[in-house]
Amino acid sequence: MNDLTLILAVAAITYLTRVAFLIRPRQVPGGALGRFLDVFPLALFMAIATVGLATPEGTPAVTPGLAAALGGVIGGVLFRRSLVGILAVGAATFYLVRALVGG
Amino acid sequence: MTRLPSGPPAGVLSPGVISQDRAHHGYGRAMFDDPSFRRGLRDTILIFFAVAAFGVAYGVLALDVGLPPWLTLFSSVIIVSGAAQFAMVGLLAAGPVPVLVAATGLGLRHLPMSATLARLVGAQPLATRLRLAFVLVDETFGLTVRAANAGVENLVAYKTAADLMLYSGWFLGTGIGVWFGTAINPESAGVGVLFGLLFLGLAAPMVNGRRDWIVVGASVAATLIATLILPPAWQVTVAATTASLVGIAVGE
Repeated sequence: MNDLTLILAVAAITYLTRVAFLIRPRQVPGGALGRFLDVFPLALFMAIATVGLATPEGTPAVTPGLAAALGGVIGGVLFRRSLVGILAVGAATFYLVRALVGG
Repeated sequence: MTRLPSGPPAGVLSPGVISQDRAHHGYGRAMFDDPSFRRGLRDTILIFFAVAAFGVAYGVLALDVGLPPWLTLFSSVIIVSGAAQFAMVGLLAAGPVPVLVAATGLGLRHLPMSATLARLVGAQPLATRLRLAFVLVDETFGLTVRAANAGVENLVAYKTAADLMLYSGWFLGTGIGVWFGTAINPESAGVGVLFGLLFLGLAAPMVNGRRDWIVVGASVAATLIATLILPPAWQVTVAATTASLVGIAVGE
């Protein structure tokens, strides 16, 4: 399989998973799967956040990313969970700690 | 957790959903004047720059593993998934099978997102649904859920704006990465941390009850464990699925 074919295959897989329920929206499930869908976005976002903040090299490590997470939480408390507040306080904490301790 | 608004029953349009008439008769031009569209543009300005920075990193890495510039750009045009594309270039040397397995593993997380988005936008023309699916990525999905909870009237217009910003940022960033090659190192600027903060910010408004806090804790713990025992392609999907199952088991 050459690179172009591989890219087309990855694109097809990605799009099919994205369009799966949108192509037939009347078959959106309820019940247990519906409850799963209620909590999945939160679980997903926290998983991605954890990877970005706590495992910068692929495994858990003490880095300025943890300070950024703490700053983000503080920003969320101070600015009523505002996205901009979390980003601003978290980023400021990250750059400050990195400047002080390196990493 | 703030509950996702339930979509309208089949065949019934809610006030927050574009009417079929507008959808079929020149809505495309009117969409640019829609307040929801403009709000979508405003809300994604930060994401535009963050995604563009990651696009730069992708362009640099893709060239580094030997992907030709035109294929690097083409992949960003047609795949539009940072996770899948980074996995692809990371596993390219291992052959097509690991790449396809990784793409499938990463794609699994789109299934609930697709179902949730279908519920949010309700009845829409097929072309609109196919288009909304093309840039159904973590960032635009998160923002659309947030917009739904905030009462944004026209989620189709909102997500279209978010999609345009993300798509252009991703392509532009990839182009810059291809153009400047290894002279740029976005990771040294802490882009990965900023992306983590972005998702922390997207998750924060969704935490409203005991079950949500348990899901947060379970997700963080499952992710940390997953990074120790699973290959990167499966870590996020497995951790998020595990935490969701814990949330279901705990109940309301």
